Amino acid sequence: MQIKPILSALRRHKAGTFLIAAQIALTLAIVCNALFIIQQRVAHLSEPTGIDEPNIFVIKSEWVGAPAPDQADAQMRADLQALRQLPGVQDATPSNSYPLRGDGWDDAVRLKPDQAQDSSGSTIYFADEHFIDTLGLKLIAGRNFRAEEVGHMDMRYKLAPPLVMITKALAERLFPGDTAVGKTIYLIGGPATVVGVVEMLQAQSVEHWASDFAYRAVIIPERLNVSLGTFYIVRARPGQLDAAMQAAAKALFAQNPRRVINDDDGVLSFSEVRSRAYERDRGMAILMGVICVVLLAITAAGIVGLTSFWVGQRRKQIGVRRALGATQLDVLRYFMTENLLISCGGVLMGAVLAIAINLWMVTRFEMHRLSLMYLIVGVVLLLLLGQGAVLAPALRASRVPPVEATRSV
Amino acid sequence: MLKMTHLSKVYRTEVVETYALRDFNINVNEGEFVAVTGPSGSGKTTFLTIAGLLETFTGGQYHLDGVEVSNLNDNERSRIRNEKIGFIFQAFNLIPDLNVFDNVEVPLRYRGMKAAERKERIMNALERVGLASRAKHYPAELSGGQQQRVAIARALAGSPRLLLADEPTGNLDTQMARGVMELLEEIHREGATIVMVTHDPELAARAQRNVHIIDGQVVDLAEDPRFHHAVHAARGNAPA
Repeated sequence: MQIKPILSALRRHKAGTFLIAAQIALTLAIVCNALFIIQQRVAHLSEPTGIDEPNIFVIKSEWVGAPAPDQADAQMRADLQALRQLPGVQDATPSNSYPLRGDGWDDAVRLKPDQAQDSSGSTIYFADEHFIDTLGLKLIAGRNFRAEEVGHMDMRYKLAPPLVMITKALAERLFPGDTAVGKTIYLIGGPATVVGVVEMLQAQSVEHWASDFAYRAVIIPERLNVSLGTFYIVRARPGQLDAAMQAAAKALFAQNPRRVINDDDGVLSFSEVRSRAYERDRGMAILMGVICVVLLAITAAGIVGLTSFWVGQRRKQIGVRRALGATQLDVLRYFMTENLLISCGGVLMGAVLAIAINLWMVTRFEMHRLSLMYLIVGVVLLLLLGQGAVLAPALRASRVPPVEATRSV
Repeated sequence: MLKMTHLSKVYRTEVVETYALRDFNINVNEGEFVAVTGPSGSGKTTFLTIAGLLETFTGGQYHLDGVEVSNLNDNERSRIRNEKIGFIFQAFNLIPDLNVFDNVEVPLRYRGMKAAERKERIMNALERVGLASRAKHYPAELSGGQQQRVAIARALAGSPRLLLADEPTGNLDTQMARGVMELLEEIHREGATIVMVTHDPELAARAQRNVHIIDGQVVDLAEDPRFHHAVHAARGNAPA
């Protein structure tokens, strides 16, 4: 109802109006995209690994010297036996890597030996028959490895296991709508028969480049001997994680003191693994959050500042309006409406800018397209912020007495 | 129309009480044109702000159009200002950001009037003051006399029962002042009740009745001989 004269008045204050609208627009554009990035990072942070995280810890045991492959494998088996005998330990398995570790072995999977194009990328986990139980994986088809099927190899050997287990995600990729058990897949060294399918197992890398095969993994029945050492993944009995972590390193040293287990990252709980894996994502989300808060605060301060200035400048005018019959509520409504109109202009420009920035990031940084929901949330947030910020100066304006109309400036 | 009985207005600080109006009595009948005169600081403007419900008073009674106003709340006072009183200020008090049409529209909007009726009233009021052709002009594009005419149109558009004018020609040159005064006289002839505060004896002489204030009280004009003579001189007759 007051819109036409308010617009008319705003046209006479183009600079201030435009500056605030532009500030709102810029804030909306940045906040929308920042919230979108935060959401993506947070979603990334909470992606499941498929393993029994609360009870799992990882030991990085490095050899002293470079033991021969057979010697190293014998040591690994002795270590695993020592670990499995600990009262707080439910099971233990050796592996070249584990989910969220960062580094590991990735390889191509094909369905035919002469296939030009890979069927899928995949994470390669080397494991023994205790791998499923230790990690708490769910076998959904086929069977686990048998003890006699588990061998050992080192990095010089070709990757050509006779049988493998794969994850459900890889099975669906390779054999959509069909069972994977009994089928043959081709790794870099030759064919392998799928004997089992596990429901979920995340890749070791959480980086963007690995996102295409984040849950596609091949589990190889081999203990991999790396000259530097190996990882032991240990599953503690419920509630005994800390005790098991302390006992595990001691047990390994008791078994053979010729090894190095670093104090800082030699024994890591899986919560620490997760925390380290997503440090950058968490940092980025926090940074984006801080930027959002700062921008919103600056915009709110701008609105408070401009409205306070306008209230001071228009004190006499407010008095005249009161003298002509405006109630306190009319004056309050005037300034709230004025801010709403400026904010609407700002969010309109901001919505266009937000989409433009997102499209630019989509082409430059392979970002996802901005969801409309973020735009709507951003618009509502900015409109509420504007109304909240203008409330105090508007209330001050509403308290200008009508007698102000008779006072000379 | 306007009746103040034993009215007082006291401005209090921590150390002093100042009476702007003291035992103030006035009665303005419907259709009268009354000039309220007095020297600077006599209480003229205080009287006007209380009469226009712009300020509250400390004691006494004030009946406006038969309504005792002392117990009205802020919203009720706003409604009476909007519906019953038209203000004409010395400094015109037009809103510089609004054009002439929108300025005249301000009190009508607060009355919640429909757009078609507002437009009709605005154009009628502007035609009455001879400024219908300037409806889209902004105050800064008008002369002082024209601005005061717009202010008069704004006051008239709401068909108020009472017009309160505070030194309406105080900021105008002689020629423009004459034009504005003639307009007020014309409005009065058409039946409006006008109370005009002025310190100009020539303007006071053109009103039907003079109420003279000194030190916050209504006094006989004869108690201010210089002003008394000036008024009579302006009327072209000698004081009794």
